[in-house]
Amino acid sequence: MSKDEALTADEIALYDRQIRLWGMATQLRLRSAKVLIVNVGGVGTEIVKNLVLGGLNSIELLDSSVVKEEDFAAQFFLPNDDSIIGQPKLPIIVEKIKELNNRVKLNINTTPLESIFEDPSYFKQFDLIIATELNRSQLFALNQHTRALSIPLYATGLHGLFGYIITDLIEHYSTPQKEAGNQLREPNTKINRSKTITKVDFDKGSNTETLTILDEFVPIPQIFKSKELPNQLNKRQLKRLSASFPLIFSLFEFEKPLNPEDVIDKELLRAKGIQLCEQYGIPTASITEEYLDMFSNQAFTEYSPVAAVLGGTLAQDVIQFLSKKESPINNVLILDSVKSEMPIYLL
Amino acid sequence: MAKDTYLKKILGNDRYSRVRQTKILMVGAGGIGCELLKDLVLTGYGEIHIVDLDTITLSNLNRQFLFRHHDIDKSKSLTVAKAVDSFNYFDTKLVPHHGNIMDAKQFPITWWSQFSYIFNALDNLEARRYVNRMCLYLKTPLMESGTTGFDGQIQPIYPYYSECFDCQSKVTPKTFPVCTIRSTPSQPVHCITWAKEFLFHQLFDEVDSSAGGLNDAAKIKSETDDKDEIENMTKEFNELVDLRKLIFNSDARTFFTELVNKIFKVDVERLLLIETLWKSRQKPVPLIITQYEQDLIRILDDQTELQKIFGDETKVWSTLENLVILFKASESLQRRLQGEESFLSFDKDDEDTLNFVTASANLRSIIFNIEVKSKFDIKQIAGNIIPAIATTNAIISGFSSLSGTNYFKYDFEETQDFSRIYQESSSIFISIKPNKYITSASLVGPNERCPTSSIARGLLKLTPVEVKELSLKWLVDKLIEQYDYADEAVALILGKSRLIYDVDFDDNLEKRLGDLSGFTDGELLMVQDDDGELESIELYISIVEDHESDYLPQIKLGPKKAITEESSNGSSGAPDVATDTIVIDEEDEDLVEVTEPVVKKRKIEVEVL
Ligand SMILES: [Zn+2]
Repeated sequence: MSKDEALTADEIALYDRQIRLWGMATQLRLRSAKVLIVNVGGVGTEIVKNLVLGGLNSIELLDSSVVKEEDFAAQFFLPNDDSIIGQPKLPIIVEKIKELNNRVKLNINTTPLESIFEDPSYFKQFDLIIATELNRSQLFALNQHTRALSIPLYATGLHGLFGYIITDLIEHYSTPQKEAGNQLREPNTKINRSKTITKVDFDKGSNTETLTILDEFVPIPQIFKSKELPNQLNKRQLKRLSASFPLIFSLFEFEKPLNPEDVIDKELLRAKGIQLCEQYGIPTASITEEYLDMFSNQAFTEYSPVAAVLGGTLAQDVIQFLSKKESPINNVLILDSVKSEMPIYLL
Repeated sequence: MAKDTYLKKILGNDRYSRVRQTKILMVGAGGIGCELLKDLVLTGYGEIHIVDLDTITLSNLNRQFLFRHHDIDKSKSLTVAKAVDSFNYFDTKLVPHHGNIMDAKQFPITWWSQFSYIFNALDNLEARRYVNRMCLYLKTPLMESGTTGFDGQIQPIYPYYSECFDCQSKVTPKTFPVCTIRSTPSQPVHCITWAKEFLFHQLFDEVDSSAGGLNDAAKIKSETDDKDEIENMTKEFNELVDLRKLIFNSDARTFFTELVNKIFKVDVERLLLIETLWKSRQKPVPLIITQYEQDLIRILDDQTELQKIFGDETKVWSTLENLVILFKASESLQRRLQGEESFLSFDKDDEDTLNFVTASANLRSIIFNIEVKSKFDIKQIAGNIIPAIATTNAIISGFSSLSGTNYFKYDFEETQDFSRIYQESSSIFISIKPNKYITSASLVGPNERCPTSSIARGLLKLTPVEVKELSLKWLVDKLIEQYDYADEAVALILGKSRLIYDVDFDDNLEKRLGDLSGFTDGELLMVQDDDGELESIELYISIVEDHESDYLPQIKLGPKKAITEESSNGSSGAPDVATDTIVIDEEDEDLVEVTEPVVKKRKIEVEVL
């Protein structure tokens, strides 16, 4: 359905509680959005659930994997049936996902990502791409294509009690409404490296300003070698910085173990973590034994509550992105559920 | 079984095996409940009981992902338990209960005592306060959670170690002066309140003379000295009683015409006569129905036209359209009252009642020159609808289950010493900023002024035989022996306010406990120190076939707290002055942000389903 066609009475009744929050205009924007989700693991399951419920136009799932025993940890669209182990995952779960909301068009594609890369024009059909659980080379390759095609990209992954969201949304305009202060905001004001107020519309009656804000993003490889973090944190924050940030980025250097019982070599992880701290200009002291143990043990594992927090946050940000009301996440969010922290860094 | 390899890695073997063996309770199976149950089942809990009294509606389906269209009108608790079967990979035993958690017959205290942890996923203050109190009686840890729109929070509660649910005051719904509602409305909400709580209520609902406080003589007198205004209100009210009689002995057209004429013309004209009201206000303009009569008759006969009006709930209706809606709604309500139903209560999901309230509120708005609203908007105000989305519920439920499962790090089987886990836990608030998504705050101890946690609580356990045989004197002696009251001076209050014993009133001493009226299972017994030195203890009377040797909780009563006994006895009121000392993890925050979670916390109600 097109953006211009009004919501039907049935749609309004179904989406009542969310329309009351974000309005008809956002609901229409969602209804016209076409999204690709790469890999439907633990966090992918949560994202697809949330976006199907939200009422997007269409979602394509791209995943060539087969069902593994450990997938039963957090991938709740899988039927409780051991005989499906070893079978391609998407055909098994697609009907269960469709049940959530039959207004959303759902396609599945079991082509390996590497084959898709051979003809990247495939990506053109989507307004937005969400990639989950990619390794570094896949992520960089995908980002190269999304950059070339100007398609916003979200990347996310889970490591037990930890997780991340990395965004390259190219650029994004939003028009938040703010109460006007004593001094009116000026157009063409740079708030930070990536955020600019490009326009200010003042409404005297309500004493509000409608701002137009431009958020600019950097390509993902740049995030991996950024020197920006020390500039964004004060001394105290730098001192108590959680090891989850350097260790999550360290894990991009490791492959997911084939056997789910296996752990990541702690000393290799330590060496990599320290190296990354030095590279990012942050204290190596954050790499504690406790965190090394947790990360070597929990790397690439899936846990439903953490998948729910991360998948909820990502889906919410996608809705935010599409609604154009506020700025989306720019450009790294770390979830540390041991410290109950979700910092966002602009790298 | 390798399906749980990840769980073992993440939780560790000890915690995982405790989780596997434990029995927990989840109260509420709505927006948070659906998400939370998924997380708890996938954490591998041994046994989960689920309580909810609600049934499923269409507007649940945008977020309560365990429900389908064909589940509408079915029980939420029974449906969720069945729905998670498809991913119950770790063989959790699911025990759903369809019922009201506050029903002490269905859920006696002995039932509550089987759970080692309780998760609240509730949408209303009354039930949350009730669960909170049960947890205080039993010293069961509780995870409290709530969401509204993009906001949400969790609060772990370790009874008597951390703040309880009542320790911070909650926002109560805004009320308006009677005069504003009845005589001088100036906002849409005033007209909606009038339409729902006064007009609709008086015409169709169960008769009670109070009219929800909107005809309360004392309240009106406290607001205005204007004799004319007061007299007018009484007259208006009495005529409404006459109008109600018309429902039963007139046809639809007569009833409608009389209704519109009285409410939107005569009453308004009389108000205009009270000149003092309009000195600094814009005068209302009475509605003259004859102007609209012809068009009204034409549209009422035109099905396509009618469908068009009724079909668009987001449009702001004209005067004529509101009259059409009002006619159809009052006709339908009249027919229902003439039929099976003896009274009708306002329900946002009952189309007739919502249409009546929408149209009459709008007509009043037109008369008083107030902005007219769409049915969609009026439904939200009249029905107290709180926006709710899947993502916020997913995030908050994720934190709720994470933090709840953290409790099983330690073995609490023998002790209820929460000092360590309390230090390690925090409240979490969604708080979306450019540099972070959530804020967490360390827990603090109970608020001294909290009416709920400033008194001690526990169970008084007796067998039916003991209730029959033991005297009140036995109980008084037992209490004095157990808690060391100086001068043996105690006062016992049974239920809400019945004094059954103090030093000057010993008439009941020789009576058997069972002969004291109200001394029954589930009733409360408040024991106060007449010397005012020791804190009060509220005992929950639990009558069971057999109990371990203890009759009374083995605790030491502390000194009396500042709060007065009157306000604490049986009431669930929150302190009027909040001593909000949410401690933000000190090093993380700058001063500006410290105040924010407190405001949030107060603001947060839970989602209404
Ligand atoms: Zn309290």
